[in-house]
Amino acid sequence: MLGGGTVGHWLADMLCRKRHDVTVIDIDPNIVRRINSELDVKAIVGSAAQSTVLFQGDVLSTDICLAVTGVDEVNIVAASMAKALGARRSIARVYAPAFSDLSTFDYRQHFNIDSLLSLEQLSAVTLARAIRNPDAIPLEHFARGQLEVYEMDVCPSSDAVGKKLRELKLSGGMRVGSIQREGRKWLASAEDELHVGDRISLIGMPEAVEAARSNFSTTSDRRKQQRIMIAGGGETGFHLARLLSSPDYRLTLLERDLDRCELLAKLLPDATIVHANANRRSVLEDEGGGTADFFVACTGSDESNIMAGVEARELGASRVMAVVERPDYANVVGKLGIDRVVSEREVVARQILGFLNEGAVISQTRLPNGKIGVYELEVSDRTKVTCATLADLPLSGRCLIMGIQREGFIRVPNADDILHAGDIIVALIDLDHVDEILSLFNSKSS
Amino acid sequence: MKFSDFISAKSIKAELKAQTKDEAIRELVQSLLDAGEINADQHDDIVAAIMKREELGSTGIGRGVAVPHTKHPSVQKLVGTVGVSEEGVDFDSLDGERVQLFFLLISPPERPGDHLRALENISRQLRDETFCRFLKQSKSGPDISQLLQEADDNQFASG
Repeated sequence: MLGGGTVGHWLADMLCRKRHDVTVIDIDPNIVRRINSELDVKAIVGSAAQSTVLFQGDVLSTDICLAVTGVDEVNIVAASMAKALGARRSIARVYAPAFSDLSTFDYRQHFNIDSLLSLEQLSAVTLARAIRNPDAIPLEHFARGQLEVYEMDVCPSSDAVGKKLRELKLSGGMRVGSIQREGRKWLASAEDELHVGDRISLIGMPEAVEAARSNFSTTSDRRKQQRIMIAGGGETGFHLARLLSSPDYRLTLLERDLDRCELLAKLLPDATIVHANANRRSVLEDEGGGTADFFVACTGSDESNIMAGVEARELGASRVMAVVERPDYANVVGKLGIDRVVSEREVVARQILGFLNEGAVISQTRLPNGKIGVYELEVSDRTKVTCATLADLPLSGRCLIMGIQREGFIRVPNADDILHAGDIIVALIDLDHVDEILSLFNSKSS
Repeated sequence: MKFSDFISAKSIKAELKAQTKDEAIRELVQSLLDAGEINADQHDDIVAAIMKREELGSTGIGRGVAVPHTKHPSVQKLVGTVGVSEEGVDFDSLDGERVQLFFLLISPPERPGDHLRALENISRQLRDETFCRFLKQSKSGPDISQLLQEADDNQFASG
């Protein structure tokens, strides 16, 4: 663990509780002293970007190196060095969006780092998911929220009623993932016939999902537009607004800094950007905080977020969410009327535990009401899945691949696609057949 | 790397109609589509990817030149085009000048080396004032093609 700040300290503690052997390196002797006294880990003082320090920390034989200092450049250099020195996997936390953008320069590949994580982006994805459809298939964390999941009921006026899925001629950018009828939920297949009242999930690229919705429901059946107020236009607030940019939501974003407001207004043409301090009660009142369906506080300060959240709740906002980093506050925020607290620690923990898994599985979640699991899987060399097109693999009815992430880009696959080593896929798997399906992803020798 | 390795001659636009940054990018991507260099169903996605890159910082590098670019998995090889706007377009360039000369580049993500060599080539050649001026004054696709050919043949001094 390179960096022992809030995130580093908490991750070290979590990994330690899961019986991993953890070493923390931090440049601040006070932090190191505190970690040594509070946690059962080895903490040493030094710069994470120096080879001698990394060597002392025995990075040469680590399974995973996490660079989570407060400085992007240090994290990138340190994670790259750790990998070169022998760490099996290496992950760097970055804040500036330029590091994750590969149009001009691919930092991840150049520095040979396994993953660049933006905690702000991950938090935004988690918040967006809580707003969009909290009970639906949890895919938003995948590929930085580029795949959308939309759950809806098949309405009586829809042309799709009584038809099989294969007869619907849906766009290639999306798929029907699951069907729920009379309390039972199963994996959709081309031969399934739709009934009125079926609850279906549409999964795919956002525009394709948006376009496909009209197949199952007429415009008048659409959900009412929800009002979202976001306090704080930093990276988290911006990404959240970007993820929620759709006619389903009316967005108001409060930001204190005028220059940032002007930039946000350019980047988010459909949102209302207000130059104001979200901690002023009069501002929340005037801008309609009391009538918001969702109020999200993500200003960058725990205290401000909690205060703004409490005010919004009192004014009458239906649901209140806040980003709160300090674990000490976790107990009280629920009592103050804040419905959902998101912290960067938790969102990053999920990703990191995934990297520590052995084999193909990065993450797995079980859906309620049925026997479907959502799996994020890494495709490795010399496995059966890389040997045939998707149509020729024995997946039908048991495993539905919803997205392939390759070289940082995501798309919805078609039957002729062949998986490559290094791809990350997200799939719905029928839990009755999970072992057979996973065996296709694990290497032939094992 | 030479211009002829990645500039699609058929897609070069001598007289851009675009008035805004967004329109300029759309017009150039459309001309690559018309020339058969990209797939129709990828058009919007490519435009969005290029705009997203612009959000992180304008690719207007000053002196009336911009090099909008992205990587995109739908292209099999590096592909680019050139556009000239007589009036110029506000492109949020650092020097505040309107952009008259556009080099737009799309490359496959798995060839990062080629991508950088192409960007390097564009930027190196455009250091030549004469080359730049001639390009901005061009009135037709073939004129631009010929200038690029001359640059490939090292006929401009600092090229």
